Amino acid sequence: MSELAIRRGAAPTLAIAGLTYSYPRSAQPVLSDISMEIAPGEFVLLAGRSASGKSTLLKAACGLVPHFHGGEIEGGVAVAGLDAIESGPGELAGAVGYVAQDPETQVVSTTVAAEIELPLELRGDAAAARARAVEEVALALAIPHLLGRTVDTLSGGELQRVALAAALVTRPRLVLLDEPTSQLDPVAGDELIWLLRRLNEEWGVAVLLAEHRLERCLAAADRVIAMDAARIAFDGPPTDFLSWAHDSSPALSTPAARLFSLAGIEPLPTGVRAARALLEAPDRAGAEDPTPSERLQLLGRHPHGQPQTPHPSKLREEGVGSSAPPALRIRGLWVELTRDDAPHDVLRGIDLEVNRGERVALMGRNGAGKSTLLKAIAGLAPTAAGKIEIDGPKSRAQDDKSAHRPGVALLTQSPGDYLVRERVGDELPGEVGVAALRVVGLEHAVDADPRDLSGGERQRLALAIALAGQMEGEELPGLVALDEPTRGMDRTRKDDLVALIGDLAGRGAGVVVATHDVEFASAFAERVVLLGAGVTIADGPMAEVLSGGWYFATEVARVLDLPGVVTPEQGAAALRGEMGEAR
Amino acid sequence: MRSPFAYVSRPGPLQAASPAAAVAFLGALVAVAFLYSSPLVLVAAGAAVALAGRLAGAWAAVRAAIRLGLAIALPIVVVNALVVNRGETVLARLGDWPLLGQVDVTAEALADGAVFGLRAIVVMIAFAVYSACVDPDRVLRALRPLAGRSALTATLVSRLVPVAAADAARLRDAARLRGPAAAAVGRAPLARRLLAGSLDRAVDVAATLELRGYSLESRRAPRPPSVREKTRHSSSLRRRRSRYDRRFYLAGALVLAGAIAGKLLGADGFHAYPTIRLGLEPTTIALSALLVLSGLTPYRRKPRRQPAASSRSTGRRRPNGGRLRPAGPVVRPSPPRGPGAAPARRAPGTAVLETPRV
Repeated sequence: MSELAIRRGAAPTLAIAGLTYSYPRSAQPVLSDISMEIAPGEFVLLAGRSASGKSTLLKAACGLVPHFHGGEIEGGVAVAGLDAIESGPGELAGAVGYVAQDPETQVVSTTVAAEIELPLELRGDAAAARARAVEEVALALAIPHLLGRTVDTLSGGELQRVALAAALVTRPRLVLLDEPTSQLDPVAGDELIWLLRRLNEEWGVAVLLAEHRLERCLAAADRVIAMDAARIAFDGPPTDFLSWAHDSSPALSTPAARLFSLAGIEPLPTGVRAARALLEAPDRAGAEDPTPSERLQLLGRHPHGQPQTPHPSKLREEGVGSSAPPALRIRGLWVELTRDDAPHDVLRGIDLEVNRGERVALMGRNGAGKSTLLKAIAGLAPTAAGKIEIDGPKSRAQDDKSAHRPGVALLTQSPGDYLVRERVGDELPGEVGVAALRVVGLEHAVDADPRDLSGGERQRLALAIALAGQMEGEELPGLVALDEPTRGMDRTRKDDLVALIGDLAGRGAGVVVATHDVEFASAFAERVVLLGAGVTIADGPMAEVLSGGWYFATEVARVLDLPGVVTPEQGAAALRGEMGEAR
Repeated sequence: MRSPFAYVSRPGPLQAASPAAAVAFLGALVAVAFLYSSPLVLVAAGAAVALAGRLAGAWAAVRAAIRLGLAIALPIVVVNALVVNRGETVLARLGDWPLLGQVDVTAEALADGAVFGLRAIVVMIAFAVYSACVDPDRVLRALRPLAGRSALTATLVSRLVPVAAADAARLRDAARLRGPAAAAVGRAPLARRLLAGSLDRAVDVAATLELRGYSLESRRAPRPPSVREKTRHSSSLRRRRSRYDRRFYLAGALVLAGAIAGKLLGADGFHAYPTIRLGLEPTTIALSALLVLSGLTPYRRKPRRQPAASSRSTGRRRPNGGRLRPAGPVVRPSPPRGPGAAPARRAPGTAVLETPRV
């Protein structure tokens, strides 16, 4: 972004000085001595691990803290010249827009047009002015076709855009976004980030964006603020942030930066474009050793990045998977659901086999049929045609017609739905319950209140509830399935989940995880099944599928474009010329 | 999963009409149901609202309302037959019942109960069509000048009720997914969890309203449009009338006028007691016909397709690789009509004209 667009020297859009804040009945401050400024037209990325204070900082910037949440506050917050601590969110509504992680929680009207119009109506704008503002913001966000629709018919990406439109319709000078891409597929997530960038450039609106998946938005940012334990740990440009993260907080490092760091190449890149430019930089030519770019050519990089996704039939012929009896066998599965009073084929002839001990990532855009497939496997979605067979210790014995299909433990997108009691031991009584808690490493928390557990622990408790009584001794049910388990997770928690998935597979369960998170899939999966509009469009080894595309490819795969190279370690080995070992 | 009664935005006259026009039309049919006891008139009113729902694309709502209405009507008929001992045609003598005394089931009481049930079904279908076809946001916006906070509360309820239903469905799924050794989820814990979730959502919505400026609403006077706004925007934007409004107002007025006139002319000749009298007068039949015809009010003629000049030639490809058929009538030989069937008779050299499917 040009210096002209970021009007440095002008009054800051957001100015925070010495801010310390504690929630009610909390001894520890969530924000401690925070001081920062955001210039008009600046795009700032807010990084940090879970519970580092990012969301609270955003809430302080829009007045929800302390006006809505209460608590103790010191210091000052000013938004576009208004004192946020004195004024409150209502007065700030014209100057700042806020978009939360889950757009579902932010929608109050039935139709899209009414939802976008509501802030203007509450402000008392005339009907003609409202109509024009709604039209303009809808055009800016490419959603005019959604204006007449009801909000419950929208996809997650569409709903997030509507929430953004409602935040922008008053033409605020600052927009705050709290992990807006966490529920979106890679395509919708990338689109949202670049939409923000475009609005930032064209409208001059300053953006403060909190995100965990930094590789997605670092290239769009002018500046990064990293938080750690309620304080600002870093504040500077993206390239400096990567160096700082490498030294001080490796969990915040991006895959491309780790790739370069492991390969000994500097400076660290902020995104795919920068990484490619650095690899192909002319100043690397002339040395005795081949440059990374030349090495990649020697290793067979596709000159124009042609995707190399293997065809499912070819993979089956090549014998992906083992010859052991499968934990899951699906043949010709069709699922039909009613949508808008009309039947729709959500799954169309799915064939799938998962072996015991196999870790499979189920990927695809929003609405591709991932969750429906998992529900059909668990017996929650009615099948129109096809056959589902599960192998498991209880699948032959259990005859409880009211329960789901035996031999499957499914953890849905909201683990909190499984927790209905106030003591962990009451959720999982008896020795069988303790055995299930032991599998997920929560045997110490029998007397705890589920609400006092961390997010990751609650997720593991929910999994234990799904597993309870489906095990014979230490043997797990044939299939453990998780639906979008990484929503809102930082990298440390994702690493814990990767270890848990490895442990479950090691105990003999086939593990199927529906996820949008490509980097997470590359960390845990040995096989990736890619769905598109209810059909399988790729099914093969993880490294091959995730290196053969653009959206469903890791950042390293997009940088190097080498078949089978998806992780920073593999990429660094390739750049060092150790490709044979890496692959 | 969405309720069949939930509003879905569809292209159609009833959805495009202003809420007042839709209410005038559907309300007139409901008024007929309350004014009349003639089964023929009630059936005609029911047929009218069902037809209107069908034409407006809300057939799922109509079917659900009929099912629900039947579930309500049946107990009405049974209870009426048991508690009302009037009528001369005794079908069954059930002896002395506690509290009710001597119970005689008469054909007249059954018929009277059936009329009550029919009335309930008509009203339910009308409300189902209203719910599925009339945008609640527009209704509440229309009411906002009268009672702003109440209208906003109603908006939130209309939004949060289906959300709570979705939450309940999700919780039921999670309960089914619990392992057999996990503690069973009874209704009470499930209800507690649902209530807690609803309260969380209510807090989120309250925060959103704060961010949208709700707390200032009562303090602010409506901003008058600027001179620029006045000159640039026509008043039609502020009024937001639909071109279909007149049609629905007219249909509602005709139905109501016909019903009042029919009432005065003795069209409601039905009496259940002491013996059933249907009273099928010419005015009753005429009114019934008018009611059924009024059900066609939401009909929309499909727009006539214009031949596309660009696709008249045979060459354009569809994205899926298929070829567009040329627009306008195409000439092709008629297919054989079955094994051994004689070919269609036609003069030599002529062909069958077929309207293309686009």
